[in-house]
Amino acid sequence: MDNYGYGSSSYGGGGGFVPGETNSPAAGKSADGNNTTLRPITIKQALDATQPYPEADYQIDGADVGSICFVGQVRNISTQSTNITYRIDDGTGEIEVKQWVDSATADTMDTDDSKAGAGKNQVVNNGYAKIFGKLKTFGNKRFVGSHCVRPLTDINELHCHMLEAVAVHLFFTRGPVGGSGGAGAAAGGAGGADATMGGVDDYSAGRNLPAMSPVARRVYNLLKTEPQSNEGLHAQLIAAKLSLPMPDVARAGDELLTAGVIFSTVDEQTWAILDY
Amino acid sequence: MSLQTPRVLPAHLHAFHPSNANPHVTNTVRILGTVTALRGDTATITCGDNGDVTLILKPDSHLQMGKLVEVVGKVTDVEGQGLGVRVLGSFDWGNPSDCGMLFPSFLDRELWLMVVL
Repeated sequence: MDNYGYGSSSYGGGGGFVPGETNSPAAGKSADGNNTTLRPITIKQALDATQPYPEADYQIDGADVGSICFVGQVRNISTQSTNITYRIDDGTGEIEVKQWVDSATADTMDTDDSKAGAGKNQVVNNGYAKIFGKLKTFGNKRFVGSHCVRPLTDINELHCHMLEAVAVHLFFTRGPVGGSGGAGAAAGGAGGADATMGGVDDYSAGRNLPAMSPVARRVYNLLKTEPQSNEGLHAQLIAAKLSLPMPDVARAGDELLTAGVIFSTVDEQTWAILDY
Repeated sequence: MSLQTPRVLPAHLHAFHPSNANPHVTNTVRILGTVTALRGDTATITCGDNGDVTLILKPDSHLQMGKLVEVVGKVTDVEGQGLGVRVLGSFDWGNPSDCGMLFPSFLDRELWLMVVL
């Protein structure tokens, strides 16, 4: 059933059906620089991020990552003609950060610095810094291509970041807060990770869902919200609506079928929510 | 394998003692506390309500009384005082009263380990 090529599902599907796009605009769209999310992570997560295929977006906890941000202690700074390389350690791992020096911006930054008082806004060895950038690989070495490295002096910002990283990790691995009983109970230790995390998508309505992959969750959500006959939706249509490759949708479907939350109707590729 | 320095509380030190059988467990930890005693080559930091830790200082550690410090060091035995930390590096976070919430990242140690280790 995985015979569908990427091409057939990308734009072809949908045949004349004009969807009332109810999904978040951020859904789908990967690997082409359209992912404008900024995710707080730990360096361990950056080192463990996977790539489904070369040149693809990196994935952490099964979710595509666009830009990332993290905090850590600066262990080394080496200034080269084209870039500044920092070695950053946040206790979970170490990673290299390259900030490219553009002569034009370097000049303006100099002026800004001199206005603000030189040396005050400097990243120093063994000091903490916050880094914004994108994951890159050169050869076999992973690094972060950064456009902003700034000093961090308030310990609350460090703690806040670590808690954010945990909250986002739990969101992707166990679903939103209050979404499913199991997740809520297991995440109880994280305590007040508040309802704002649950507000991202309305998964939480209705009964408890078992733990599932993010893709399966999106497929379930589409089946739940999309106008449809009692035959449900065809996998092709789901793939087109979510801009997902067919094999991913098929896998998600299998997952949901196994979990017993959807069932196949007219054929094996057409699914409807199992409501009772 | 990259270098890891888990953020711990005094109660967790035993898990990182060198005698620990698990070779995958590092002996280097990070601990955060307020400097409450300085005695030449040793010092004590108080980690909020979570207890005290004895530090074995290096000659060039410059700890200041009453400051909030983050210490990276190796878990060792301290004579007569149980477990302590041999300081490799320290970072001064300034006034403890500027830290709104002490150790939020350790609220659930298991959870935290899951993310970072």
